[in-house]
Amino acid sequence: MKMEDMSLSGLDNTKLEALAHDIYSDLVEDACLGLCFEVHRAVKQGYFFLDDTDQESMKDFEIVDQPGVDIFGQVYNQWKNKECVCPNCSRSIAASRFAPHLEKCLGMGRNSSRIANRRIASSNNMSKSESDQEDNDDINDNDWSYGSEKKAKKRKSDKNPNSPRRSKSLKHKNVLLGPRQQAADQEAPCMLLRDGEFPQ
Amino acid sequence: MSKESQMRAAINQKLIEMGERERLKELLRAKLIECGWRDQLKAHCKDVIREKGIENVTVEDLVAGITPKGRALVPDSVKKELLQRIRAFLAQHAT
Repeated sequence: MKMEDMSLSGLDNTKLEALAHDIYSDLVEDACLGLCFEVHRAVKQGYFFLDDTDQESMKDFEIVDQPGVDIFGQVYNQWKNKECVCPNCSRSIAASRFAPHLEKCLGMGRNSSRIANRRIASSNNMSKSESDQEDNDDINDNDWSYGSEKKAKKRKSDKNPNSPRRSKSLKHKNVLLGPRQQAADQEAPCMLLRDGEFPQ
Repeated sequence: MSKESQMRAAINQKLIEMGERERLKELLRAKLIECGWRDQLKAHCKDVIREKGIENVTVEDLVAGITPKGRALVPDSVKKELLQRIRAFLAQHAT
């Protein structure tokens, strides 16, 4: 049969039947392969022969149904009232308060850094006066301006970039300080020298 | 001959693209589980594994040991149903 004699629209019936059988064979082989992979993984991970455990050992793993106890037979709230010794300050702390205590005690965690920063800022404010602006220079680069105390507070929130309150407090600051101070904040700090504002 | 293989390739591609191959696969899998083929073959797997030893058995061992038996164990009804669906697909899309 020449090529041109074959119908352009497709294969003849015997060929179609052979094709159908081939497709079917592929599908069966896929199914077999799938099973082989599953079994192989089960064997290597060790759970293939689990069903063959004898009756007696099976009793060890039965679900426990007693009150006050979980399905594995363990008591689940026995650690509530225990006390733990803190490795840092050697105090005895209740178990449910232990994690927050550790956070404060070790100085890690979100709240402890905020508290520490607040303490620094308030101690700065109390110990400082107008004439101490040079000290302020050493701590912060931004110094020569009128509202330096407020600037110190602004620096404090810069130190805490992970705090979600950062941008909020800056916005508040700008509203309170007024437009002149806002312009001051945005310019390069060392360029900012205003008459009459630098104490002699 | 090459025209035939071209046609075959085109039909196979259509089978995949239209999602029919996936559906046929799922159908076959469901039927084989239903008729107990899977459990039979799993039992046969245990024999192969015990023979080769758990530590040493490879995927190839399993495939070589399982596939011929797997092909033979497919029930006739399942085979008929699948062939019917395949023929229907071919009739619709191979012309």
